[in-house]
Amino acid sequence: MPLLADRRVPYDWFDGRVPDNVDIHDDAYIESAFSFEECRALAPHAVRIARGAHLYSATIFDIGERGRVEVGECSMLNGARLICDERISIGAFATISWNVMFLDSYRVPTDPLLRRALLKSVGHPRLLPFDPAAAARAITIHDNVWIGFDVCVLPGVTIGEGAVVGARSVVTEDVAPYFVVAGNPARPIRELERPSERPTP
Amino acid sequence: MSETHNALEERLVIPANVQVGSDSVLTGKDTFRRFFSELDPALTIGAHCHISGAQFALGKRASVHVGDYVFAAHLIVLAEQDISIGNCVLIGFNVVLADTDFHPIEPAARMLDAIAVSPLARGRARPPIACAPVIIEDDVWIGPNVTILKGVRVGAGAFIEPGSLVTRDVPARARVLGNPAQIIGEV
Repeated sequence: MPLLADRRVPYDWFDGRVPDNVDIHDDAYIESAFSFEECRALAPHAVRIARGAHLYSATIFDIGERGRVEVGECSMLNGARLICDERISIGAFATISWNVMFLDSYRVPTDPLLRRALLKSVGHPRLLPFDPAAAARAITIHDNVWIGFDVCVLPGVTIGEGAVVGARSVVTEDVAPYFVVAGNPARPIRELERPSERPTP
Repeated sequence: MSETHNALEERLVIPANVQVGSDSVLTGKDTFRRFFSELDPALTIGAHCHISGAQFALGKRASVHVGDYVFAAHLIVLAEQDISIGNCVLIGFNVVLADTDFHPIEPAARMLDAIAVSPLARGRARPPIACAPVIIEDDVWIGPNVTILKGVRVGAGAFIEPGSLVTRDVPARARVLGNPAQIIGEV
């Protein structure tokens, strides 16, 4: 579903436009430009949404200036929040449920004294800048991953192909391909059968 | 000067028993939808705060205090007694702070409570519900999707990882993760 000439989303409930550096394939679907209200990325092609992907309203791209996000073919995001200061890559065939949080960065120093000094120096919490001391670590979600509702995926995590993350889990370390993990923190609970072939949409 | 407005950029009507400090912004259309406290002041918010999309659901005798330099987005505060947040506290998306159990735990009391909140209540009072104040000290970082339950004191400078469910006190500068939250290190 192509964007309109002025980069509005057809039938959008929100009066906004998709930023120029967000590439949405004509055969992808997004419900609302509201998803990009917090997208501050500066790089060209900073966000790429592949053919067949579909993103519903509550999906929010909270992307800092250096951030880059890609979403693969036929992936569905039903209201995830992507907090990205470096990179979040989501492969093809993903099923990502509501209230899922991806953070590739904590965005502020973990040391409370540094944090207080930063707050006082900028004068107001809404003015907190991207802080290079809060090192971002890319998140990679490989193909055919199912992430249940209310899951948090922490910085630096890679989720292997075919994996499943149970609802309300918090993923703190890499998930092996074709494993089901669950819990807070998430732990492997089962292995799944690998498919023999990969369909083409 | 403090500034309060709802999502439609109209001025948010704040109850008379709410005080908002200088240079603070409070936004959201459901902020006071479940605000029933009769104390004065019931809610105090310090200076240089940015609190967007919050819901302050206070029972009749509840009080909530928020310090200076506090950031919160889509915070839900469920208070029947007392919840306080210190200075320089950063609170992530979708955090819930509750100082009450909402319902009795004992099965006998729970049936009486179910009747007392039902259409067949006929004026019956609810049985006592356990409450205990929640205290978030200065310089705490609370990640997105965290829930903090009744009676918890989060010590100064603590770091609460995303998704945690905090049921017990957190020592100062501790780093906690999990459901239930466990200490995984310190900052």
